[in-house]
Amino acid sequence: MASAPRPERVPRLLAGCLPPYPPPPPTVGLLSMEQEETYLELYLDQCAAQDDLAPPRSPLFNPVAPYGMYILNASNLDTALNSNPEVKEASGDFSSVDLSFLPDEVTQENKDQPVISSRHETEENSESQSPQSRLPSLSEQDIGLGLNSSSLSNSHSQLHPGDTDSVQPSPEKPNSDSLSLASITPMTPMTPVSECCGIVPQLQNIVSTVNLACKLDLKKIALHAKNAEYNPKRFAAVIMRIREPRTTALIFSSGKMVCTGAKSEEQSRLAARKYARVVQKLGFPARFLDFKIQNMVGSCDVRFPIRLEGLVLTHQQFSSYEPELFPGLIYRMVKPRIVLLIFVSGKVVLTGAKERSEIYEAFENIYPILKGFKKA
Amino acid sequence: MPGRGRCPDCGSTELVEDSHYSQSQLVCSDCGCVVTEGVLTTTFSDEGNLRGLRRVRDLCRVLQLPPTFEDTAVAYYQQAYRHSGIRAARLQKKEVLVGCCVLITCRQHNWPLTMGAICTLLYADLDVFSSIYMQIVKLLGLDVPSLCLAELVKTYCSSFKLFQASPSVPAKYVEDKEKMLSRTLQLVELANETWLVTGRHPLPVITAATFLAWQSLQPADRLSCSLARFCKLANVDLPYPASSRLQELLAVLLRMAEQLAWLRVLRLDRRSVVKHIGDLLQHRHSLVRLAFRDGTAEVETRGKEPPAWGQGQREGEVGNNSLGLPQGKRPASPALLLPPCMLKPPKRICPAPPVSTVTGDENISDSEIEQYLRTPQEVRDFQRAQAARQAATSVPNPP
Repeated sequence: MASAPRPERVPRLLAGCLPPYPPPPPTVGLLSMEQEETYLELYLDQCAAQDDLAPPRSPLFNPVAPYGMYILNASNLDTALNSNPEVKEASGDFSSVDLSFLPDEVTQENKDQPVISSRHETEENSESQSPQSRLPSLSEQDIGLGLNSSSLSNSHSQLHPGDTDSVQPSPEKPNSDSLSLASITPMTPMTPVSECCGIVPQLQNIVSTVNLACKLDLKKIALHAKNAEYNPKRFAAVIMRIREPRTTALIFSSGKMVCTGAKSEEQSRLAARKYARVVQKLGFPARFLDFKIQNMVGSCDVRFPIRLEGLVLTHQQFSSYEPELFPGLIYRMVKPRIVLLIFVSGKVVLTGAKERSEIYEAFENIYPILKGFKKA
Repeated sequence: MPGRGRCPDCGSTELVEDSHYSQSQLVCSDCGCVVTEGVLTTTFSDEGNLRGLRRVRDLCRVLQLPPTFEDTAVAYYQQAYRHSGIRAARLQKKEVLVGCCVLITCRQHNWPLTMGAICTLLYADLDVFSSIYMQIVKLLGLDVPSLCLAELVKTYCSSFKLFQASPSVPAKYVEDKEKMLSRTLQLVELANETWLVTGRHPLPVITAATFLAWQSLQPADRLSCSLARFCKLANVDLPYPASSRLQELLAVLLRMAEQLAWLRVLRLDRRSVVKHIGDLLQHRHSLVRLAFRDGTAEVETRGKEPPAWGQGQREGEVGNNSLGLPQGKRPASPALLLPPCMLKPPKRICPAPPVSTVTGDENISDSEIEQYLRTPQEVRDFQRAQAARQAATSVPNPP
């Protein structure tokens, strides 16, 4: 890719609306590992300084991605202006940014090659994933801003069944609307509750996996660890539990581990590190590679009863409601790809997310639909 | 059959295609000479498919479904069979698949067949049926309409053995079918309107409604009969949730009765209200409107205020009642029209989770990790205990 364009080259209409993030470092391949690392830290430091607007989401502002891809795109700018769900938690710090690509072992003495290469891998993985993960979220941010009428945007979001490519170029009119409106929208940080009158889904469970990268003797682990249970006849893994954060881990003899029960991404990562430490203390050369959040579950309450029979009639292609089998309606949202369990009491469970923003997006999409069924 | 050649023996053209143990043969219908023998064309999977198709047809016939249903169900089965996941599935799964195809066909024609009924016929578990049903609907991308409640009421009510006197059914319990059907339908509609049906299995609601309808048509003689006894003499299984549905329905009827002046003075309870179900149903639309206020707005505002406020409001309403007329002379203030799960107070107040400041990169102290490890002494004790248990369990049986 060419040299990164400066922010001043942005069209005048939007000057001043774009957060003056520094240009990211050049793409990988041009630099050595150490240089890239320095650039990365520099970039992150600078971003942290300007983080009163919105904490950067790593897939979106991935420094390794070509800058041109996301600067000249109109809808992209909406994203920059838009509510970022993480603002609500902690502005100005990176608690919600996925820093899992930074290896645990950077702090330790042994900083060997395989560690760096795995980080490189995860960065490249997230780079290749970022265009796709970016595109769906962009049009959703349009909708979230409420610039389009909610019915129009809903039909938009539902008319693109999984075809992320078609989403971005096709809605020209909404983009132009959002463009002009974006110029007059004041640059105040928006809370994630733009339309949903203060209801924010709470995360209830995070499932993550990590590779300890060494073969484990499960019998030895079960013998030396107090908090482990191992019943090979029932299940071929050690079930270990720690008290803080209150989580459970399944540790397999291949060295792979699954960590469940945490209430936030950071807690899940901390818990996984603690389990890895326990395994290390038991004498195994455990590492902490490829930590990845596999699933996130959230829940919330819209506080009004919902006519599930009506909802399944109007949203037949996404809903499945079988009262003979399950009291809730199963809504499979296409964008973002989240499954929602909607109950008559107004309680909603959202699952299948890989990122917190997907849960918030899904709830913002479903709330206007549910409001339509408020009147019996 | 013309155009197929001639029999080499007798020269007739009457050749018939006949299968002998799934091997196709061309046989002369005059002299019986086998003209050609086809290869064994049916593979194991084909035979499985044929078996399944036969079962689909049999099931349709057992259920006495219209003939068009059979073809649709067979088509669904064949469509499902084209997927490799289904072809490689266990036999049990294929048998349940038969039921799923029939169920989908019935649903699309508004034929009220319940999953419970199919599971009973197939001797299948509802859990197994449920997983395969969801899988096949997703796989084939089908739009399956909901169970038609009105049709189910008609079919289910007709199955109650109460329309003719018999040794088990005394004369005073016999009821006219049409009257019972129409009243049951009205009660089920009322239940639907007052949030008793959404999210629940439909059948127990209908059982409760049928019971109330039957009781109310001749209350003097029938009030003494319980729900369980009613189902027994009608020769119908009593679903477990039916009694709680019955109580919910009676509560709704009592609230409606509070709005009628001549019923209010009677101070009805759950038994006596049955006598007036006829009147209540006659005016059900306006009574529901009077007796209940829209719960949706109320819950939202109530949710935002602390619970104490809600209490105060209710007390205020009671105070209003006592302002002018004595209680009992004025209609009760409208109750919230909400599903029963929202009317019950929450079992425990969920505290808002404390805001977590975990970053994921904190230092992990050694002592914290060591609390989870056994000391060498504990390891030795544990090993000894394990060995002892092993020895105990492997004691040979006495001869």
